[in-house]
Amino acid sequence: MHISEGILSAPVLLGGGVLTVAGTAVGLKSIDTERIMPVAMLSAVFFVASLIHVPLGPGSIHLLLNGLLGIILGWAAFPAILIALLLQAILFQYGGIVVLGVNTVVQAFPAVLCYYVLRPGLSKGGNAQKIAGFLGGFLSVFLSSLFMALSLALTDTGFLQTAKIVVWANVPIMIIEGVVTMFAFTFILKVQPEILAWKSYWKDENHEVDE
Amino acid sequence: MIPEYFSYTDSFLHRADPRLKIVAAVSITVVIAMSRSYITGLCGLVLSFFLVGFARLDIGVVARRLLAVNIFTAFLWLTLPLTYGGETMEFLGFMTISREGVAVAALITLKANCIVLAFLALMSTSPVSSLGHALGQLGLPEKLCLLLLFSYRYIAVISQEFQRLSRAARIRGFTPKTNVHTYRTYAYLFAMTLVNSWNRSHRVQQAMMLRCFNGRFYTLHPERLTAVECVVFGVIMTGVFIMAFWEFWKLQG
Amino acid sequence: MMEYEAPLVEVQNVTFSYQGRKHPIFEEMNFSLEREKIGLIGPNGSGKTTLFHIIMGLLVPRKGAVLFKGNTVHDEKGFQELRKSIGLLFQDADDQLFSPTVLEDVAFGPLNLGFSPEEAREISRQTLSNLGLSNFEPRITHNLSGGEKKLVSLATILAMKPELLLLDEPTNNLDQETRFRLIDILNNLDLSYAIISHDWDFLEKTTREVYAIEKGAVTQCERACLHEHHHAHLYGDHPHHHED
Repeated sequence: MHISEGILSAPVLLGGGVLTVAGTAVGLKSIDTERIMPVAMLSAVFFVASLIHVPLGPGSIHLLLNGLLGIILGWAAFPAILIALLLQAILFQYGGIVVLGVNTVVQAFPAVLCYYVLRPGLSKGGNAQKIAGFLGGFLSVFLSSLFMALSLALTDTGFLQTAKIVVWANVPIMIIEGVVTMFAFTFILKVQPEILAWKSYWKDENHEVDE
Repeated sequence: MIPEYFSYTDSFLHRADPRLKIVAAVSITVVIAMSRSYITGLCGLVLSFFLVGFARLDIGVVARRLLAVNIFTAFLWLTLPLTYGGETMEFLGFMTISREGVAVAALITLKANCIVLAFLALMSTSPVSSLGHALGQLGLPEKLCLLLLFSYRYIAVISQEFQRLSRAARIRGFTPKTNVHTYRTYAYLFAMTLVNSWNRSHRVQQAMMLRCFNGRFYTLHPERLTAVECVVFGVIMTGVFIMAFWEFWKLQG
Repeated sequence: MMEYEAPLVEVQNVTFSYQGRKHPIFEEMNFSLEREKIGLIGPNGSGKTTLFHIIMGLLVPRKGAVLFKGNTVHDEKGFQELRKSIGLLFQDADDQLFSPTVLEDVAFGPLNLGFSPEEAREISRQTLSNLGLSNFEPRITHNLSGGEKKLVSLATILAMKPELLLLDEPTNNLDQETRFRLIDILNNLDLSYAIISHDWDFLEKTTREVYAIEKGAVTQCERACLHEHHHAHLYGDHPHHHED
């Protein structure tokens, strides 16, 4: 979900930039030396996720999975998403450098929100966990498309209809992301739940080494 | 997998100091992104074509990249003429479309293509590693530079890991379709990739500690500006300032 | 070589168990590494990698201590000193090469040790050229082949000028040519090392003594036990020459 360069107005671009600087500053504060590598690695995972195409009817869509990243990383999702988007701009020319601020807020803000709203549900078992997982995918894409629409509508009131279409067009993606995120969380919680407790994880000692 | 096509060939722009290229790319993008006139857009396009030629980029690959950008502008062409409102005009004899909608879509298409071309010529001609160091020298926080370089380093590894798992699924008869089984399978493949990457990050973290990593970001390449680079980028930046001035002057007038 | 009274590194009465495991991997285990070239063998899960990680301070034993040049290492700061003198080569080279280019990766350690960028670059060049990898400097690490990655990760460690190397299964997934090259490199190193490996033939060509880890204890292998396993190794189907 990228907005290309050359579309948004100066105030919107500036607003996005300021919010991204603020969010990234908070995020970087939460990353100490020992966590630089795990956050970088998840940023790369997020980048790779955007290259995965899943079928939808005759076509296919690509996954976003910002909700999943947000629930794991919290505020650190801001710099992680910023980096992934910068790499996409450099390597594939998706988005761009001046619109990077807006694109980061569009994806990272819903991610951080998911962290605060859905984490409690995930720590419970059973259906609460499944619902929280589904919402992690559904809500994050819904909010992202809403923010994207908002940035278009704020640029030019003539974009209002286009903006509405953006949100509606994303409804199937919201549902698929919800399903994928739900299953992904079930998997992670079963296989390696300590990933969700990453802040304390690195402080513990003696995790098993391969042998 | 990681297409750094443009950084493999060679030209003056490839060899130029990445700091200069970043500054030039950002300035061009800012001016074009904010402009509201076709004239600035067209001047920008001329500058961009000049830069692409100067960087001797492969036209085929450039065209493919432009195609990707224009998927979004095509979406605007489909919606804006019908929804923008304002003055209308006849279209194909049987429907009316918004004249302003067409104008806005055209301007955006011009600007978007112009920016992508400049970006390709200036940013994509440096390997990500030199861009990372250049961004550090331009004042980006240390941690962010480290995140950029490390993340870039493992994209290919992680992507291969995902593809390995997905091949394994295919070998066992998995064919993607629009159904829950497919989405669950993709979710598991992705989650497994995430878990593997997570554990790898723990091992890499240890390897870094063993080599006395303390969170500092050092750069090995002290770039030095050459006179020719300064002149060429002086000319480019003058062009950018003229466009900015023209835009500003037109809006005042 | 200089003579020291105390061994370079020693583990004393170490008891170690992983979280959530009933039985400890080591109980009151003792092991010391002198300035020598040794091999370590043992079945999967016997704790070979664990032992290396305890020595490097990556894992913390429940009881017992690690001694470096005769002094007990108490904390992370002490291990940071130890890590300047002991290098560990990981099983998977992708875990060890985290910089975009080869030269940057090799220079990472020297830069952290406080060398200037110019000095670090010089050290890295020298190290790479000693290993016959001079033309690798500008290459992108993730584009290297498996064997090349292994040799470069060895360079990253040698660039820190360690006194002792710990190598964890260095011949895993290596092609014949790189394997021979590694044997050659190790034999020409004026450096002590300990190698974990299942590759008997490799150990025989690179080490003086071989120890076995089994049931939490380290015992010296008889030379005869090497021969017994001679043709059980990975490359058994290739014609090869035995020196003794």
